[in-house]
Amino acid sequence: MQPMTRRVLASTLLTYLLGRSALAQVSLNKEKTTGRTLVTIFLRGAMDGLSMIAPVGDDDYHRHRKALGIGASGLKLTDFFAFHPAMAPLHPFFLEGKLSGIHAIGSQDQSRSHFEAMALMERGAAGSPAEISSGWVARWLDATRPTEVSPLRGIGFGPIQPDILRGATDVSTIQDLAELRLTLPGAAPVDLRQRLVQSYATGTDPLSKAGKEMFRVLETLERLDPKNYKAANGAVYPTSHLGNGLKQTALLIKADVGLEVACLDQTGWDTHVAQGATVGILAENFKDLATSLAAFATDLGPQLDSTTVVVMTEFGRRVPENSGLGTDHGRASAWLVLGGGVQGGKVFAQWPGLKEDQLEGPGDLKVTTDYRNALIEVLKRHGSAEAALKTFPGAQPAPVGLFT
Amino acid sequence: MNRRVLLQSSAAALGLAATGCQLQKQLDPRTSDAPPPTDGLPRGTILDRAAFGPSLAAQKSLAELGESGWLAEQLSAPLADSQETPGLQWELRGIDLFDEEGYELRDRAPDEVLSELQRAALLRAVYSKWQLRERLCEFWGNHFNIYARKVYTAPHRDFATGELAFFLGEDLAKVSRKNALGSFPKMVRESMRSTAMLGYLDNQVSKKDAPNENYARELLELHTLGVDGGYTQKDVREVARCLTGWTIHDEFLKPTGTVYFNPDQHDDGEKLVLGTRIPAGGGERDAERVWELVTTHPSTARFVARKLVRHFYGEGRDEKALQGKVAARYTATQGDVKELLKTIFSTPEFKEPPPLIKRPLDYVVSALREANARTDGGAALNRHLSAMGQGLYEWPMPDGYPDRTAAWTGSLLARWNFAIALAFDQIEGTRIEHTDARDDLALRLAAPAFQWR
Repeated sequence: MQPMTRRVLASTLLTYLLGRSALAQVSLNKEKTTGRTLVTIFLRGAMDGLSMIAPVGDDDYHRHRKALGIGASGLKLTDFFAFHPAMAPLHPFFLEGKLSGIHAIGSQDQSRSHFEAMALMERGAAGSPAEISSGWVARWLDATRPTEVSPLRGIGFGPIQPDILRGATDVSTIQDLAELRLTLPGAAPVDLRQRLVQSYATGTDPLSKAGKEMFRVLETLERLDPKNYKAANGAVYPTSHLGNGLKQTALLIKADVGLEVACLDQTGWDTHVAQGATVGILAENFKDLATSLAAFATDLGPQLDSTTVVVMTEFGRRVPENSGLGTDHGRASAWLVLGGGVQGGKVFAQWPGLKEDQLEGPGDLKVTTDYRNALIEVLKRHGSAEAALKTFPGAQPAPVGLFT
Repeated sequence: MNRRVLLQSSAAALGLAATGCQLQKQLDPRTSDAPPPTDGLPRGTILDRAAFGPSLAAQKSLAELGESGWLAEQLSAPLADSQETPGLQWELRGIDLFDEEGYELRDRAPDEVLSELQRAALLRAVYSKWQLRERLCEFWGNHFNIYARKVYTAPHRDFATGELAFFLGEDLAKVSRKNALGSFPKMVRESMRSTAMLGYLDNQVSKKDAPNENYARELLELHTLGVDGGYTQKDVREVARCLTGWTIHDEFLKPTGTVYFNPDQHDDGEKLVLGTRIPAGGGERDAERVWELVTTHPSTARFVARKLVRHFYGEGRDEKALQGKVAARYTATQGDVKELLKTIFSTPEFKEPPPLIKRPLDYVVSALREANARTDGGAALNRHLSAMGQGLYEWPMPDGYPDRTAAWTGSLLARWNFAIALAFDQIEGTRIEHTDARDDLALRLAAPAFQWR
């Protein structure tokens, strides 16, 4: 028998002291990582940035948005911008300097097609998704891969793998951690699971690889207890898709299982009809987004400092309202960045203006900040500048100033 | 009328005179009495590609007719269910009412209607003799995807809404099922008049003063030309103008839910669509002109070819060359689906296609067929499909479920759970009849090889 090293002894002692605590078990198996977690939230369907962060200091905003504007009901962010009232749960984080907005941000997509623009943004392309076939998170994970890879290094929450993770080799797509288990009936022989593991052990096709990865994830999760997770600091998550996803992301961050990137999304932003002003479809979406994020930030407590959340959307909506009291597809929108090191309490924007001759195409907010500039700054914070630039080939970043 | 009497009289309507046990046997939707094989079923490529995998009945039919004979028979599939086995007709009883007059269903719970539509699709996929037709119904339904849980805004009444689920059956019957092996342009035309589609993409509120671009855009991007099909933002706007006034009838107290043209809300000015001038005063003929322009456009030929080749051939070396052949055939035959398929099936490339991942529906149906399952197609099955990411008619976005391999690698655990539940008879309403040991069958269905078709 090998003599017990100091480290193993300490581990054994710790395990003994903490009993069968799942968290302790897992953290002892911690893989080498940057120790930071990036959380992306994609608002699918094109979120109306002019409603989330309303340019209330621009008279043209009130002129264009007679029915759908937030009027004087907004929460002051700066002398020029105000939060939609349903964003209230996030307002304190802005005031405390943990949250910032970016306005008039977007890509060079001209199609105004959801699918085209989402694919472009998830792949990190400049003007067309055809430029590049992998997702930018996938490339980032590849550029920063440590020698020992955690099975929970990258996670996509949802029914199918999002484009942002396209081409990634060490990520999992899951709907709910608590539901993630292999269900074996009583009549099944005891070795069924082992035989299933073996059937995925040797193949080189994408599914065999995904299967091997899934068994590693299962082994890790079986040591956690996601069903009985209790949020800290009085945080209450909504039971929505986003709320659940963020709750589980918090669980994984706290369990220290080597989670580096979590990709979430929220649908329902394509408000062509009856989007509402301070109440309605859009306001409900904002409420869910803000409540979920506020719960996440509260729950993480000091661990928010090693976490960055980016809230993104494929494009914004037309500046003038349509006849159905909704808005059609536009160009630029607004994003949010929340977390440690963020130069909070600011709305980063080179405001292009809302006068007819300042709008683009059929009446859309101009893009003055290339979305890749924001993402490159986020990735620099999470690793090296070199890897960040490698993730976005061809990008010539101009500073946004997101981080202190 | 109790269930037993109902069963007897419905059976009589199907021309069956048997009773009791004999009747139960005749109403079994599996069509072969052959005993289940003792070892692995042979894998027939054509049954994996053009059918939902081998079943005992399909293998028998393939053995009798040969590959080309079987394909010829499949290509001549009838429209109606009347040529299906009594067993399948029995299982589908009542659901055919959903094919028309969506508003007749409005007193029912939308979830119940949706659940029945899901059941019908699953039963047909598992048991229909016309496997190619069923595959195409799923394919086209996905091409003209509609999210069944969408609640649309009623055009004439403030804050009133309608349930799309009621109109989905009608859409599926008239758009994809009726034309599955017929004319693609006809499918587009029916879709342009579909209550469910217009409600899904907001055209019912598109008015002359401010056209709503949602449907016009997806008509060009997802249904016809494809995103790289050469249209511009201006074309989207012009098509939207052409389609203003096409709305859903929902007048207070006498709603019918049908699509009609309201000239008062139509923008009757001149338009320029894809380089063609549409003169002012066209009224409802504007939509007809748009239909002609988009369905005869060369980009549409390429786009439809690309999707069909991806579905039946796969992602691979010869994909592009085959697309070119199919697109040419589209142009030559005005989009005759049968001819497009013949082109795919008869090319040398089709003999050795690249592996193609089974989407969850493919997987579940092929497993049920392989396991020789008797299923009611009920909610328990759709729950498994949802866990894998493909609950039927539950994809919220108009682009339909993705067809690339990478999108589905995350669904493995749910597939394993399904395979094990199926093999051990743990799915409500589904029982298998198989001589393999249950654990061996579970492993075979869960293994990597069974995930490909």
